[in-house]
Parts: sequence; structure tokens; C-alpha cells
Amino acid sequence: MSSDLERALSKLRFDDQVLGYSLMTKMGRPFVSFAFPDDLFPRVKDSINLYKTDLRLMTIDTDKGLVVLSPVDEYWILTVLYVPELQLGLAIAKTKNVLRLLEGIELPPPPDDFEESSESNLQVLETIAIKAASTSAEEAAMSPSVEAPAESTPVETTEKSPDDFLIQSDTIPKRGPNYSGALVLDSDLYNQMKSEHRNFGFDVLMLVDDKSDVAQLADSMFQPTERVTELLKWAASKEIVEVPIAEQVASESGVAKATVAKKGKFVKCPKFIGDQGKVTGDDWTVLGLCNGGQTSETIAEKIGVLHSVVIKTLAKYRKDIKMIGKTL
Amino acid sequence: MVKTENPLLLTIYGNIVDKMLESTSNIEEANDQLRALGQELGSNLYLNTEIADKTKDTISTREDVAKLVEVIFKVLLDKKPSDIDMDSARGSIRVSDRDCVWCQEINIEGMRGFGYCEIFSGILQSILEFKGVEAKVFQELSKATGADACVWTIRLD
Repeated sequence: MSSDLERALSKLRFDDQVLGYSLMTKMGRPFVSFAFPDDLFPRVKDSINLYKTDLRLMTIDTDKGLVVLSPVDEYWILTVLYVPELQLGLAIAKTKNVLRLLEGIELPPPPDDFEESSESNLQVLETIAIKAASTSAEEAAMSPSVEAPAESTPVETTEKSPDDFLIQSDTIPKRGPNYSGALVLDSDLYNQMKSEHRNFGFDVLMLVDDKSDVAQLADSMFQPTERVTELLKWAASKEIVEVPIAEQVASESGVAKATVAKKGKFVKCPKFIGDQGKVTGDDWTVLGLCNGGQTSETIAEKIGVLHSVVIKTLAKYRKDIKMIGKTL
Repeated sequence: MVKTENPLLLTIYGNIVDKMLESTSNIEEANDQLRALGQELGSNLYLNTEIADKTKDTISTREDVAKLVEVIFKVLLDKKPSDIDMDSARGSIRVSDRDCVWCQEINIEGMRGFGYCEIFSGILQSILEFKGVEAKVFQELSKATGADACVWTIRLD
């Protein structure tokens, strides 16, 4: 857990526009800090105490820079100091990205006694997390029978499961019949999404515009495509979005797929980035198909030549060829 | 594709990565397995190269770790890392390479979070272990997936 936390916080540490940050308790005591000016702590603490449990993401303009602070969960508050010239929207977006990462980590509550901003605090948190995990593991072992009935509940025949869908990096999710319902605060679907995916689900759905593909959505959120794909599969099973069904794709390509892989097959696709004018007619038969979206084997099949012919042509123009690795 | 350093290493490693990606079901698993492979290589590298001779038997300071990393780069890759940062993160050392050998001319799309050069994380971690340093090493950024430099974090406990 502490390496996940370190990784999440490192997004801030290695951002040139971040001057410092602090992970604080809900009372405003700094637990883990990095280059956060000491004289700003009282002001942050005042704001936290002003709002108490009603604290939401807020910004404070200071002479040292723009402070963005937000509760992470019931125990923790993240405070980040950005350079003064950073646009407000960007500062908020950057903070939200880190908050999303932190949401995925089960942070234990802070200890009652700790030294503020001490280096060893991350390890302290790890110890608490391990103790908590071993206690809950004992409790879980004592009640295994509770699990069985839940698993045997039959799934409704009309509702599909997330695994029935096939989503790849270039899949374009479309808004489904339940799309607007899922975005209405306090609707059943919204609450379900919030409990399973927290705010991440809402953020992804807001970006679904029937035009952007999964890779573009993930890039704009600075999130892994896997995480976005997992959310979209869940959303598809609830008819919030529409994506290809695994069986449909299988029948189109004529290949039976027993299971849906979590990531597609990793392949390398040649992309010609040179001057078409310098390519001879015969060579263009090959290079014209090098668009970064299909493998050299596929290209060979399409034009009906041996794979070695394609490789020889690519080698001839190797200075103008870029190999793009992607999952298909 | 332009002239590359160590084309044989590139081709062999590229083949390993391709096979790893085929046999794993998600990116985290691929990262883990590449690191594990690097760790397996660690003992042979330690036995068959001058790394042991050119470095202190026991490593006690962060500066020692940084020197060890420089020796590893020199002996294995005949180069220097672009930067070794010991200041930004207390408890960690970040090693950067703007001309990473492992992922030259590799362009990967849509696989955010994939550490193409994680094999090197495993190698570093393994050699650090031989020197008595318990550390976790992972690739923070990779040129293969669009970063300006490959960056490895050595998290010292």
C-alpha cells in the first residue's frame, strides 16, 4: 500500500507545476509532506476547520501560489500548492487525477500520535494497514458461509455481465439508453456506480461523446486504458453505454473466442512517415497500407504477397518507417 | 527506424517483451514478470561481470547506491545514466536515462502504465540485494510509451 501511495504522490512530486503537497488528517495535521511551506499550514488548517465535514474541493489563492485542497476520504485531506500562474481549471484537474489514484488505495486512519511531516510516516501507515488487514482476514475466515449464498444468486437473464463485452483501445463507446439516468445524482444507477467505482465512473461517463475512443478517454484522464475499459464494461452491462458484444465481434471475424482477454493481442504495426513522392509504384502497394493500424502479416495477406516481401520493402525504407506497438 | 545501439540486444529483448505481453493478461502482470525476469538475470550478471569488483562490498549510504547504479550502467550498457536524483524524494532515488537502450525506437500506443524496460528494474533490484540493500525498484516512466526519458525509482526501505 505504501508503494501505491508513494506512486500516487509521485505524480505530484514530478510535476513541474507543483511546488509542494501535504497529505493531512481531517483535523489539518500534516502527515506526509513534500516542500509544502510551513507558513501555509495554519491557513489550510483554518479552512479545514471552517467547513469540517462539509469540506469539498476548494482553492486558496496565496502569495506563494495556488493551493488546492480536497478530502480524500473520511480520514484524509490532500493539499497541493501549485505555481501561481497555473490556470485554476488545470490545477483542479491535476488534483482530481491524484485523488482518483488515492481513492483506489485503502488508506487506514492515521494513528493518534505521530510526528508531523515525518519521513517514517508512510511506513507507519503501512504497519497500520497490515495490522488492519490481518484482523479483517481473521474475521473473513470465521464467516465463509456468508459468501456462498451471494454467489449462487442467479443473474437476471436479460442483464449481460461485463465480460460479455469486448472493448479495445480503439473502441468508441456510445451513450446508451440509461446514460442520462446514470448521471442524475442520487438515482439508483448513480448510487450503484458511486459505491462500485466512486467518482471515477462519473468522470469517465462525462467524457463519453460517441466520438472519442477508449485510448483517447484514458489519455485525457491520465488513467490506464485498463481502468477505463473495466468501467465501460460495467457501464455496458447496465446499458449506460453501448459497446461491441464479444459474440458479435467473434462472428464478424469468424473466429470463436472462448474467453475475452483483458487486454488485446500485442502487435507491432508499421507506419510510413516519409515522402510518398519518393516511393516507387510497386513499393507503394506495400507502404500505402502502412498506417500504423495493421501488422506486416496482415498487409502481406491483403495484397497477396509473401511476408518476406513486405519485410524487404519495409527494410528498404527503414528510415521512414515507425513501428507502433499496440494491442488489437 | 534509425541506427540503434546494440541492435542484437534490442531484437532479443523486443522478442522477450512481445512474448511476455502475449502470455500475460494485463499490464501490471506484464510489468511484474519483466521485473522478475530481470531479477533472474541478476545473479549471472553479478557473477560474470566486473560489477562486484568495481563496487564496495557493502552499501550503506545513498551516495553508495548512486555509485553502484553508475557502475551497473557502465559495465552492462557502456554508458552513464542521464541523471540520478537523490533529492526530490526522501527515501527514494530516481534514475533517468534519456537515451534508454532497452526501448530505442519503440513506440507504444494505448498502454499507459506499461513499463517496457522493467527488466532493468529487476536487474537493479537483484544487484542491490547482493550488496545488502533491500529496495523495491520499478519503472516510473518509459520513453516507449511517450515520456521524455526512462525513469526508474529505487525505493529504499
